Amino acid sequence: MLIQILNGLVYGGMLYIVSVGLVLIFGLRRVVNFAHGGLYMLGAYIGFAAGLYFGFWGGLVVALVLMALLGVLLDYGVFRPLQDKDHMTTVLVTFGILLVMEDMVHMIWGADTISVAMPALFDGTVDISGSPFPIYRLLVIAVAIVVVLGLTLWLRHSRAGLYVRASSVDALTTGMQGVDTERLSLAVVGLGTALAGLSGVIASPLMALSPAMGSSVLIESFIVVVIGGLGSFSGAFFAALVIGQVHNLGIVYLPNVSSMLPLLLMVVVLILKPSGFARSH
Amino acid sequence: MKVRGLLGASALAIVLASPALAADPIKIGVATALTGAYGDLGNEVRRAVEFAVEEVNAKGGIDGRLVETQFLDTQAKADISRQQAEKLVNDGYTLLTGAIASGEALAIAPMLERWDAVYIGTIPKADALTGAECSPRYFRANVPDSADAATVGTWLKDQPEKKWAIMGSDTAWGRNSGASFVGTSKGLEREVVTEGYAGLGTSDFAPYIQKIADSGAEGVWVALAGRDAINFAQQAKQFGLLDKVKVAGVSFVTDSTVKSLGDVSKGIFGIVNYSSTLDTPENKAFVAAWNKKYPGTWPANFEADTYVGMQMLFAAIDKADSAEPEAVAEALSGLTVDSIVGEVTVRPEDHQLVRGNFFGRIAEHDGVLRPVISATIDAAVAMPAANRDCQL
Repeated sequence: MLIQILNGLVYGGMLYIVSVGLVLIFGLRRVVNFAHGGLYMLGAYIGFAAGLYFGFWGGLVVALVLMALLGVLLDYGVFRPLQDKDHMTTVLVTFGILLVMEDMVHMIWGADTISVAMPALFDGTVDISGSPFPIYRLLVIAVAIVVVLGLTLWLRHSRAGLYVRASSVDALTTGMQGVDTERLSLAVVGLGTALAGLSGVIASPLMALSPAMGSSVLIESFIVVVIGGLGSFSGAFFAALVIGQVHNLGIVYLPNVSSMLPLLLMVVVLILKPSGFARSH
Repeated sequence: MKVRGLLGASALAIVLASPALAADPIKIGVATALTGAYGDLGNEVRRAVEFAVEEVNAKGGIDGRLVETQFLDTQAKADISRQQAEKLVNDGYTLLTGAIASGEALAIAPMLERWDAVYIGTIPKADALTGAECSPRYFRANVPDSADAATVGTWLKDQPEKKWAIMGSDTAWGRNSGASFVGTSKGLEREVVTEGYAGLGTSDFAPYIQKIADSGAEGVWVALAGRDAINFAQQAKQFGLLDKVKVAGVSFVTDSTVKSLGDVSKGIFGIVNYSSTLDTPENKAFVAAWNKKYPGTWPANFEADTYVGMQMLFAAIDKADSAEPEAVAEALSGLTVDSIVGEVTVRPEDHQLVRGNFFGRIAEHDGVLRPVISATIDAAVAMPAANRDCQL
């Protein structure tokens, strides 16, 4: 039971890192970024490719840097021109980008699945209440906690964080107060895509890489974002925790309906409280 | 495959009567999973079809007609698969193959007569395809679930483990295979203590793995393929499960699993429908030719099964002197083929190719980790009698 809860935390933690990137981008740009799953996948592949030369951790750093740069380019070249467009347009464009990324990865690395070796330092298990538990999974939980704490501190206690929160509520008024929201959003989108890359690289020793890995994570992270309340940082955190547990305990106790539980939860939340867990707009 | 150069007067008569027809290429449509969770398997199908077609065209085609192919992506999804197959048929590619998931083939089989097409199944294993859902136009070159179940029985009875868990894919095939294993184990006084079925494309198997560990199972039967098999094995290794329980499976001990997993896969038992280590002159020639076209690789089981399917199809076209689906179907029924898995016959009752099966484990062979055969099970034991539910 304890192990199953830990497994739920691992799953929820990874979902959180992906989802919070989505939330950041939505908050600043009002763009529902369907390409986010592709960014997660691309991050994993870049981490893998760079890891062949620089080791797992070197690969992680390379992936973070490249993904952040890609985010800045995306914001400049795609999200900025699209911000005043119809929602449908942004959905179609970002979905198109996802497909292009999948095909590019397919072209470069092929459709065969690739396994990434566990970093040696964390290869092994520890005993938790009599059962072996992979150390690496504890590391995943730790990384998720660091991201949660780091983002919370940054958003609540720094000037830039204040601007980000203000922009998320009303970008126009924030701009009128003298905040350069365009520059701010370059940085924030870069951060969001870097987080997608981070989760991709972190997931790679657990899950084999394939071009299709992005699409499945995309759906689950959208469920998290919707349940948490669009554009809410704390909402995404709680929603990811809940979805992680629902997903895992569902498989253990209600195996026949487990795959629809997260969707069912989303439907219930949307009917009872359309704004999501958090009281965001 | 042997294309006989001289086909007698009848072929000549047809050629003379309709010169335009003689030049017409034979069109094979391949709707397969080029992307998605089974993307690696779909690409194996593509490699095998391309290999077989290149080989036959190099010999001047079949009766002087060259073979042409068209590939479309299905993502292994039944609805897309049916659409793509229909599209191929509308474009004149009426000789079809390529389905990976049983659900795909089950969606296509009922349409074949209406489309006037023929289908050679080389990967889908669900019994229904040659059982209740059998079609006069669907022919199966690969080994079905019931034959795998009969094969596992011969192995399971010698294993000391009494408690087993099932880890299957939540698809027609995975459920079918799980149910077969339960049936087999009951007859052998083995107990199935837990069953888990994970959706196609599941990334995190941790809850399933922990459930198996908690159940006290001493062995686990795995019916997962493609990326699902790799994710499960990799994560089970990390949880220490692979070292603690006996792991065996179907479509699990495959060359592509080994390629992705490396040493993690070493020692896993399983049903091996085909192994490149098979010691027959036909297979050795096939492996050598394969090695020439795809340097540094050995034909994997799905590649070999698909190649067997192509051997079947080419022999039938040759026998029928026609690539018209109706004539090809007629020729396929009861056809005996000299294939890489020996001389095998297509059973007329249910259109199943009657062939033997193998059990093996992943080990080093010639310094390369791959599935190695440890027991050969004769077709008489491995292939159950034709299903009475099939009314052709």
